[in-house]
Amino acid sequence: MIEFDHVTRHYGSKTAVEDFSLAIPRGELFALLGPNGAGKTTTIKMLVGLLRPSQGYVRVSGHDLVTDTRAAHLHLGYVPDEPCLYDKLTAREFLRFIANMYGIPRHLAEKRIEREIECFELHEFADDLAENYSLGMKQRLVFAAAFIHDPDVMVLDEPMVGLDPHSVRIVKDLLKARTAEGMTVFMSTHTLAMAEEMADRMGIMVRGHLRFLGTVDELREQMAIESTSLEHLYLELTSAKTILQENTLD
Amino acid sequence: MANDRPLPGDMHPLTHEQEGRLLLWLRLTVAGHTIGTMFREARLRLGLVGLLSAIFWAALFGLFFEAFTFIDSMHAEVISLLFNSFFSALMVMMVFSTGILMYGGLYTSEEAKLLLTCPLRSAAIYGHKFQEAFWFSSWGFILLGSPMLIAYGLVRDAPWSYYAMLLPFMISFVVIPAALGSIICMLVVAGLPRLRIHAVTISITIVLLGAIWRVWSALNAAEAETLTTTWFEETLSQLTLTEQVFLPSWWLSSGLLDAALRGETADQTWASSLEAMKFLGLLVANALLANLLAGWVAQLTYRVGYSHLQSETPQRKRHARLWLDELLARSGSRWGGPLRLLLVKDLQIFRRDATQWSQFLIFFGLLALYFLNLRSFTYTYAYASIIGYLNLAVVGLILSTFTTRFVFPSISLEGRRFWILGLLPVHRDHIVWSKFLFAFCGGILPCLGLITLSDSMLGIPRQTLVIHLICCTMLCSGLSGIAVGLGARMPNLRESSPAKIAAGFGGTLSLVVSALFIIGVVLLVALPSHLDLMRRTLGVVPEKNLIGLVGSQTGIMLSLGLVVLLGLTATFVPLLLGIRAFRRFEP
Repeated sequence: MIEFDHVTRHYGSKTAVEDFSLAIPRGELFALLGPNGAGKTTTIKMLVGLLRPSQGYVRVSGHDLVTDTRAAHLHLGYVPDEPCLYDKLTAREFLRFIANMYGIPRHLAEKRIEREIECFELHEFADDLAENYSLGMKQRLVFAAAFIHDPDVMVLDEPMVGLDPHSVRIVKDLLKARTAEGMTVFMSTHTLAMAEEMADRMGIMVRGHLRFLGTVDELREQMAIESTSLEHLYLELTSAKTILQENTLD
Repeated sequence: MANDRPLPGDMHPLTHEQEGRLLLWLRLTVAGHTIGTMFREARLRLGLVGLLSAIFWAALFGLFFEAFTFIDSMHAEVISLLFNSFFSALMVMMVFSTGILMYGGLYTSEEAKLLLTCPLRSAAIYGHKFQEAFWFSSWGFILLGSPMLIAYGLVRDAPWSYYAMLLPFMISFVVIPAALGSIICMLVVAGLPRLRIHAVTISITIVLLGAIWRVWSALNAAEAETLTTTWFEETLSQLTLTEQVFLPSWWLSSGLLDAALRGETADQTWASSLEAMKFLGLLVANALLANLLAGWVAQLTYRVGYSHLQSETPQRKRHARLWLDELLARSGSRWGGPLRLLLVKDLQIFRRDATQWSQFLIFFGLLALYFLNLRSFTYTYAYASIIGYLNLAVVGLILSTFTTRFVFPSISLEGRRFWILGLLPVHRDHIVWSKFLFAFCGGILPCLGLITLSDSMLGIPRQTLVIHLICCTMLCSGLSGIAVGLGARMPNLRESSPAKIAAGFGGTLSLVVSALFIIGVVLLVALPSHLDLMRRTLGVVPEKNLIGLVGSQTGIMLSLGLVVLLGLTATFVPLLLGIRAFRRFEP
């Protein structure tokens, strides 16, 4: 469903992502971890078509994000780290706009809008202008909009920022249910507990390279540390000392 | 590999027309809610904008009507040249303004980021953002152009078809430079991402220098006395460069002139209208072609350009403290330490916020340019005196727009960061006083400089200059007091944008109070000073009545005293109200 094929991305003379290859099959929830400046946001921007790779290919459901952008977007749902809404639209109007954008027939669109309002508990403010929403309310609306066309692939950038514990539970349950139905989820997060709880596989990026790809158990195995937390493993893997040692060995 | 997974059955990719209709629905819905909110929450501002626009329109109409009547009776042949110069200048300005607006709309706005992740064609996103830029860059043309063209039609007794063709002429003309500006913007971003700022800066500088040189040489080439027939003809002959048949401005000018012609017979009028329609057709065809080309360029370059632009890593610049900051922070005794530190902070923010100082520089720079050109004309004493006071009012009005736009929101913005200042050992009063001092000190020097320049160009006597300088000082103090005081009394903590804070009720009230204060100050001092100047110039002995008293030295001193009193009231009453409110302020 998602393919990164030897992707490299430069920012001027700086390389943000280098020779990144990854394939995520249907129904998998993948979590991308890494310290600030590791290249996670660049990877996500390439996956949603905001950035073009300097080299390599990114494909969603078989559609190249550069040559077949529009077709790829029809299969994608995206929740950015900072919710972007129209202040002068109500939640219902925004959902209608997004539903129409994906060409969902009107009768079905209305049903989906009600479904998402129900699912993300937007009733109370569904007909208020978005300019009056709190950050959490905005984030819930962005989630509702991302799910409205039942995408094959969902891309989430720091999805839980601004959500209260109740909303976090809703999102987690929904992601589990949808992945069970075949949706692929690509999630970037700093919340290690969430990655540990939700992800089928995880990738840890450091300085533009994928330093680890696999499950938590595989990470323990690779690091040769037993019975320790993901936090400990993560800090160990991304520490400057480890990187220096690996670079020396290379 | 491609298309290995079909779309779910309930999704149908939109056609070009459906995308256009959907984005139009979005624009209309957002506009509807915006207008609704303004009617509910900003009636004062809306009413004020409507009223001022109507007054502005009527004043322009009157001015153009008189001007066209004068030109029609004496210099009818120069109308074509005037139209060509006006429309070609406007065309150049619109290319730049739309280009800059499109850059903001297509490449840096949050909306663009949202739309680019949706299944929309690049051309559709371009079209959507073009509508916005087109509106913002053309409303000024409609506001300025409509009174001019209607006045021209009335003076020339134009047939009804002239008025019917006005709007289509204006719209089709405006689309051409707007589309051209958009194309240039997209090509520069896609092709020369790193050079875009230099490219735009160099182009604007060349055009500005060219325009200044042209106007300067046109004004200075005339050796004869100003405002005579010869002077007009010599000056306008400098502008024949704008009469080029391949320019849309020429098509518009020629079309309008033909449309306004009323022949001796109905057939002659019809023939002229038909000729005008040919020009309108030419403009419409070119507008459509330009729009089509722009859409095509967008389809090819928009996403590439957007991606290129994201590649640029912002240059890290180390912001060192200037000697002025050090001097301010360390000068004087221990008294006022926190106040001085707050001033240094505001100074650093102002210096690093290009929006603030660039607008300050542009407006005051243009004013200085206008004052420098005052010496190109000759004046009688009465005329010079009136212009001097009008210039004083203009300086005050320009300053009031700055105090409303930048100083008024400053307390609201501090309120949003109150957790920083609130935890410091700084008295709350100091925060308000520091804002006032910053605004006053920032405004006083350029304003005094401008008034001195204006008066020296007008040849105004030294005593009147001193009066003007005292009034200017009071204006700076009062305007700063009104903006800071009302800003502290009516803070808006919900908005993070200073422009939106200034556009709210408090900002509008601050602008209205500032305008009334300026009118009060200028009227109070202008009348006695002007009467005194007239009396002394004409050598008349003052009469022993009220007019004589007003126009005497005593009257001047009295009016000056009243100005100082009004200035101090405008400074301290809002400030004290603001300070009292700010002490009780709960973020």
